[in-house]
Amino acid sequence: MTFTVRGLLTGLTIVCCLSPITASAETNGDHAAFLGDVPKYQEEALQAGINHAYAGPWEYFVGGGLATFDCNADRLPDVFIAGGVNESALYVNQSSTGGALKFERQNSPVTNITRVTGAYPINLDNDQWTDLVVLRVGENRLLRGGPDCRFSNANVSFGFDGGGAWTTAFSANFNENDSHPTLAFGNYVDRTAPGSPWGTCDDNILLRPQVDESASHGVRYHDPITLSPGHCALSMLFTDWNKSGRDALRITNDRHYHRGGEEQLWDLYSGRYPRLYTRADGWQSLVIWGMGIAEGDLNADGFPEYVLTSMGDTKIQTVDVVQASEEQRPVYEDIAYQLGATAHRPYSGDDLKPSTGWHAELADVNNDGLLDLFIAKGNVEQMSDFARYDPDNLLLGNHDGRFVEHGETAGIALNRRGRGASISDFNADGLLDLIVVNREEPVSLFRHTGFYSEHGTRLGGNWLAIELNQPKTNRHALGARLAIKTGNKTQVREVQLGGGHASGQLGFIHVGLGVAERATVRIQWPDGEWSAAYRLFANHFAVISRGDEHVSYWYPEKPQEN
Amino acid sequence: MTLYFLKGANIKRITWLLLITATASADSYQPWHDRTLAEPTDASLFSGELTKEQLDNLISKGEQLFNAVFTTDDGVGRPMATQAIIPTKRKRAPKNTFSRTAGLDANACASCHNLPTIGGAGDFVANVFVSEGFQLADFDSTDPQFSNERNTNHLFGAGLVELLAREMSADLARQREQALAQARSTKEPVNIKLNSKGVNFGQLTISADGVVDTRKLDGIDTDLIVRPFSQKGVITSLRQFTINALNHHHGIQATERFGERWTGSNDFDEDSVVDEIQTGDVSALVLWQASLAPPTVKSDLPENWIAAAERGSKQFDDLNCNSCHKRSLPLDSLVFHDPGPLDAAGTLRTNELGENGNTAYNLALMQWADTLEKDEQGRWLVPLFGDLKRHVIADTQVDTLGNELLSQRFVERNVFMTSELWGIGSTAPYGHRGNLTTLNEVIEAHGGSARASRDKWLKLNDETKSDINAFLKTLVIEQ
Repeated sequence: MTFTVRGLLTGLTIVCCLSPITASAETNGDHAAFLGDVPKYQEEALQAGINHAYAGPWEYFVGGGLATFDCNADRLPDVFIAGGVNESALYVNQSSTGGALKFERQNSPVTNITRVTGAYPINLDNDQWTDLVVLRVGENRLLRGGPDCRFSNANVSFGFDGGGAWTTAFSANFNENDSHPTLAFGNYVDRTAPGSPWGTCDDNILLRPQVDESASHGVRYHDPITLSPGHCALSMLFTDWNKSGRDALRITNDRHYHRGGEEQLWDLYSGRYPRLYTRADGWQSLVIWGMGIAEGDLNADGFPEYVLTSMGDTKIQTVDVVQASEEQRPVYEDIAYQLGATAHRPYSGDDLKPSTGWHAELADVNNDGLLDLFIAKGNVEQMSDFARYDPDNLLLGNHDGRFVEHGETAGIALNRRGRGASISDFNADGLLDLIVVNREEPVSLFRHTGFYSEHGTRLGGNWLAIELNQPKTNRHALGARLAIKTGNKTQVREVQLGGGHASGQLGFIHVGLGVAERATVRIQWPDGEWSAAYRLFANHFAVISRGDEHVSYWYPEKPQEN
Repeated sequence: MTLYFLKGANIKRITWLLLITATASADSYQPWHDRTLAEPTDASLFSGELTKEQLDNLISKGEQLFNAVFTTDDGVGRPMATQAIIPTKRKRAPKNTFSRTAGLDANACASCHNLPTIGGAGDFVANVFVSEGFQLADFDSTDPQFSNERNTNHLFGAGLVELLAREMSADLARQREQALAQARSTKEPVNIKLNSKGVNFGQLTISADGVVDTRKLDGIDTDLIVRPFSQKGVITSLRQFTINALNHHHGIQATERFGERWTGSNDFDEDSVVDEIQTGDVSALVLWQASLAPPTVKSDLPENWIAAAERGSKQFDDLNCNSCHKRSLPLDSLVFHDPGPLDAAGTLRTNELGENGNTAYNLALMQWADTLEKDEQGRWLVPLFGDLKRHVIADTQVDTLGNELLSQRFVERNVFMTSELWGIGSTAPYGHRGNLTTLNEVIEAHGGSARASRDKWLKLNDETKSDINAFLKTLVIEQ
């Protein structure tokens, strides 16, 4: 905008300046104006009953994750939060639909445990209750879920040796026709090695399920495969990077401690010993302070893009489709700069030092049909070369394909050191809320209250939330792919477990639909079989059960009227 | 409207912006200008429940717009957008701006809605070719593999129809909520039969965990919203219909769906006219349509017609025609809220412009409201001869009305909403394609769930059929 034009269009200028959204976008010269909906988040952790902090010495500079999942079959997401030297905490969701968030802590010696760095929900035994994988500094735990959010220690009954490593990453998938998941644990520094911590990254391990009908839960995890070398993993994710129908294991590693390490991609083809993709395969060396992974198909070509958080600039990698599909060569290009998503330094305040990124997650927080990117940010501890005030990012997807920062407008720019996080609809109103675990500071719980407008808070775009069920094994359909079609546009979602920063979630898969009031959804189930097309009306929670050609709707309980 | 846009604007764009923003200047528009949208309606002047004077002013504006022969200066043309209801880009501009098939296919709303008067139905020549506008958005053939050919519906009584649909939708949602509460409290599954205003919509099975099985629904979408408009019953509101039609037929794109909030551009169709029609003007069009008088029963008739019509009316019931073509449905309130309660994003919703952006039109203030009868509960009886429900209307033996090849918005090709018969005496031709010239022909074409009535009708003698004709032709739109 030039002064001349502004002068000519006084009336117009006034209109523009009335809108905080437009004004905010225009004052940032880094990117095009964002004209869509900016969410209005309200932090209400204490009011909601969550009073928790992740804390501890050096071992807990990293980690600080949480698991978001439904532990009592009411379809509302509950949370289990790591505490470091503090006890971990399980909070049961009691929020009323569309209302203020409310949680009640459920205490148990099983879930109140120290030395926890992160957690992921998973169904290990194919019963109706979700289990937990708890990552720790020391012995990792498998907690078997039961009714009413009751858990029991299940390392022994699963034949699982939790080890004594410093575990900071996890991912799981269902390999081919396995009835139980394969588990991967990512370990950080081997503190017992000579010369630790520098250059002493621990190995990672892979646990394939050993089906054993005589075992308590029909499966044992007692035969770990070492994934060596490890390069101080801080996030890992099983991913079908080349649409082959076969997952590889993507690991992001912290260059701060590895020597000669790099980002990794493991080929885990069943029946063969795992092997790393190498230069010969097209894998290019990338050395970053890798902290978190988020996967999303930003261009709906079926090939996922990966967000990798780091100290300094965030990476967004897109694959060379021809090499990936025709030659199975994982050749990636970083497009974060083109997309305006490097998020390399704080977007507010006057600190020009680089940011420190942790959890990353792609989700449509404004229901406009475009993926948005959340990044938890925060100084490791006292690193003077990096920004101290380093607010979390909320990069909103724009129609030009780029991202535009709106963390401050959205109300999430707190002076806290973020670590793990989860974007989830805690009060079942179709608006994605946000929970962030902070180091040495209280958990932030942001309720999505609507969207800014010059007329106050308003409704946003249409949405769908989809739950997938399989009847016998892999009940949450890990590995399923959803194609959501509105008009000529197809959005892709994949059911995955892993990535982020020590944080994982299971539950409804949220899709923003913009102005589409209906969508056609097809599911590619984990074994590759495609469903028929499901016809869904917007603004509903849909339940799709494999084998049932009919979709059902779930309605959250209506709040009591005063 | 953003200054970002203006960076790349050409002179024409800037000129148009200046004109639009200079609405306070009384002399900015001159009658010889090539614009028909002289001054955008200032929505802020219409808030809350409107007085009769405000209603009349807004109705007058709506009538102007409905009759306006739109021009390119108004925003006619969508060179880079299709007719789809979701903003959809073309890959390349079509060779011709106007086309009787894929559109643009009309210069004014009244070009088609004009029989027997403005707001009415259309002749076969005014048929519209309905394509979703996603794949094969451009087609130059009337071959039914590309589009569904539809005759133009009349809009008289449309406000009452939408009010009925809103109340029915609320009824059904309430029934679902009650059943959900029961299932949750008893921890047992609940089956309910859905009924509103005497119309059955099938069953729901509700589990104790709040999951609703909709497979036994009948004649309604799975979200239980009664969508009363279009031959297919797939459009929720007059507002949604208006926005769809403006884009489809004229290439005039409403800001509330095609504007920068949802598309990132205030000129989505790239015709160099920005923010082509705004909420105030859409509201005026909605109100004008909502305020149209309902059709009536012609009474100034010769005695022999009256006698025949009375006999025909009885036969109509005896044939069970009234099981779908219900003579009337009861309406609790004549207050028409705009924006309405059921629209989704892309059509203005309640409170979207703040509380002051909500308006209420009390249709009881319309002169015609006094002509509506009331039932013993004091409800207005809307004599629409319909049930606002979809039915299968063709079968393997009687397939005249099953002539479409494309389903529309999840509704199968041989399923249509019951045509409201009010006004049928003024709106020939008949059938959703308008290719049936007489009432006898369209009655004979009823298959599917209307087959039994139609078969009984076939067995009637000519005199009795004539009586039914006489009855139906008393249902007219007053001019």
